[in-house]
Amino acid sequence: MNVLELVRLALSRLGSSRVRALLTMLGIIIGVGSVVALVAVGQGATAGISKNLESLGTNLLTVNAGAASTGFTRGASGSATTLTVDDATTLDALSGVAALAPELSTNQLVVSGAKNETASIVGTNEDYAQVRNYTVGQGSFLNGISVDRGLRVAIIGSETATTLGLDASNIGDAIKIGGIPFQLMGILQPKGTSGAASNDDVVIIPITTVQHYFNDTDSVRSIAISVATAEQMDVVKAEAAALLRVRHGIASGGTDDFSIADQAQLLQSVDSISSLLTILLAGIASISLVVGGIGIMNIMLVSVRERTREIGIRKAIGARGRDILAQFLVEALTLSVIGGAIGVVLGIGVSIAVGQVAGWGFTFQPMTVIIAVGFSLAVGVVFGVWPARQAARLDPIEALRYE
Amino acid sequence: MGTMTALGAGPDATWNHVDGGAAEAPRLLIDIADLWRVYHLGTVTVEALRGVSLQVHEGEFVAIVGPSGSGKSTLMNIIGCLDRPSAGTYVLAGTPVAGLDDDSLARLRSRAIGFVFQSYNLLARTSAIDNVATPLLYQGLGRNERLERARLSLEALGLGERLEHLPSELSGGQQQRVAIARALVTDPSIILADEPTGNLDSASGIEVMARFHALHREGRTIVLITHDHEVAAQAPRQIHVRDGQIA
Repeated sequence: MNVLELVRLALSRLGSSRVRALLTMLGIIIGVGSVVALVAVGQGATAGISKNLESLGTNLLTVNAGAASTGFTRGASGSATTLTVDDATTLDALSGVAALAPELSTNQLVVSGAKNETASIVGTNEDYAQVRNYTVGQGSFLNGISVDRGLRVAIIGSETATTLGLDASNIGDAIKIGGIPFQLMGILQPKGTSGAASNDDVVIIPITTVQHYFNDTDSVRSIAISVATAEQMDVVKAEAAALLRVRHGIASGGTDDFSIADQAQLLQSVDSISSLLTILLAGIASISLVVGGIGIMNIMLVSVRERTREIGIRKAIGARGRDILAQFLVEALTLSVIGGAIGVVLGIGVSIAVGQVAGWGFTFQPMTVIIAVGFSLAVGVVFGVWPARQAARLDPIEALRYE
Repeated sequence: MGTMTALGAGPDATWNHVDGGAAEAPRLLIDIADLWRVYHLGTVTVEALRGVSLQVHEGEFVAIVGPSGSGKSTLMNIIGCLDRPSAGTYVLAGTPVAGLDDDSLARLRSRAIGFVFQSYNLLARTSAIDNVATPLLYQGLGRNERLERARLSLEALGLGERLEHLPSELSGGQQQRVAIARALVTDPSIILADEPTGNLDSASGIEVMARFHALHREGRTIVLITHDHEVAAQAPRQIHVRDGQIA
């Protein structure tokens, strides 16, 4: 008897009791479906978070003013005034620093025609786009001249542009920031959100302009550093810290008046947490696969008992023990594989739906499907063998006598 | 009835011992010598067969007759290779049965025996043609050949119009004829019929017996097990079993 004959036999058998077959498969459907869906959702979430973090800038070090903690209270980031433009200039000279941008922010009312909003104004330099991973959509970004001379030029985020009703045709037009006229130089491409803050609701002007018109200070809120390669991150971070300690006259063992955040570290920990979570979810889901397998075993055992007479007849007309074993095993396998296939389809459906809602899309993972189907095959074999062996071992005389 | 030769039972059929060598002496198909079958039920020992010896030649129509509990069912199970003797020898169509394992017994059943049961024992929810084709499945035949031979076998028993019917859609007599078609489809050495008329009304019973007579005329070897002396009397040779021995 070849496998095809056995599958045909199993299908016709299952076809004659569809409701029962479906109920039996339900455990496998739910098990495989939830494994596929949860793994896909977990991976989607990880990818989404990683992408958002990467959009902040790759190989990014952020030096924030203010101590990591002062006594018992930690100062709000940027509230202290310990970082200066000179610090930034010195850090820029470190080897391994690809680009560096100081950030000095202020909140000002931005007016364009009849529309206005209070926006966060970031004063920075021409490297800011590179460091923070911004791309200019229309117009151009800050350049050396505008920063050196403190020109009244502004680049705005895509969301700010929408709020103010500005588009490409308005490049070169005047907008008012804090009552002072600025020339709109460019509009940034959307980047998405990272956490609560939108990266696209932003107004960028030269740092010298902020100092001149809004905030006459030499201190900056933070300094963003783009490191040339990921391998240099630790070295640059240590050197920057050492340099700042010397400049700020902090003795070894003293409390730093700045803190350095490491993008790669953050990314790494998010990755490891979410992959751990994915494994955990898949583990929980696979428990339902085992439960589903037990369901199949249960039904197959009942089926062997119910069909004792059929087994006796088949043996009398020439079936060997292994023919009966194969018949019942293939039946269990057919149940679990069909259930697994339905589960895969449902799981993919759920992941697509969740991906749509959450906005991270759906990436098809052939590996997940292969594992899930392999798992359901294994469930079929593991939980199908015992009932099948029971069937194969029946004594034909006893089985024929069974009512 | 010349229809049976249409079942692929020509001279080239592997297991056909019926049509071959008509000039020779009839072959010895069943050779049982001093056969014992003892059951151990807990502390009780039951001797169902006590030294039975029996020979059946090719082409014979034999009725094994006896009351219930006489041991005739045990004898039938052993002849049908469903059971093994406790002692003694049984040679079926040249093959000693005593030492065979389960798989070899199954193969012997598949090739040499065609069962007809009192309660038909057709597979429920399976069409007549699929029922008849099933023994060929266990001989490893392809689907098309199985269905073709099953169809011919059913047609030979006048069931050409009932191929796709389920057993539940057939009368008792029709079901028993499907069972006979199933027994014949493998072209076995022996037709082993266990009370084939026991569940039938008298008209159907007469028709089924007529089929056996026809098969006998074609040269088939038939062993009929029954408790009914009237049925047994129709067979040319009767073997009476009583208390596990041949009377």
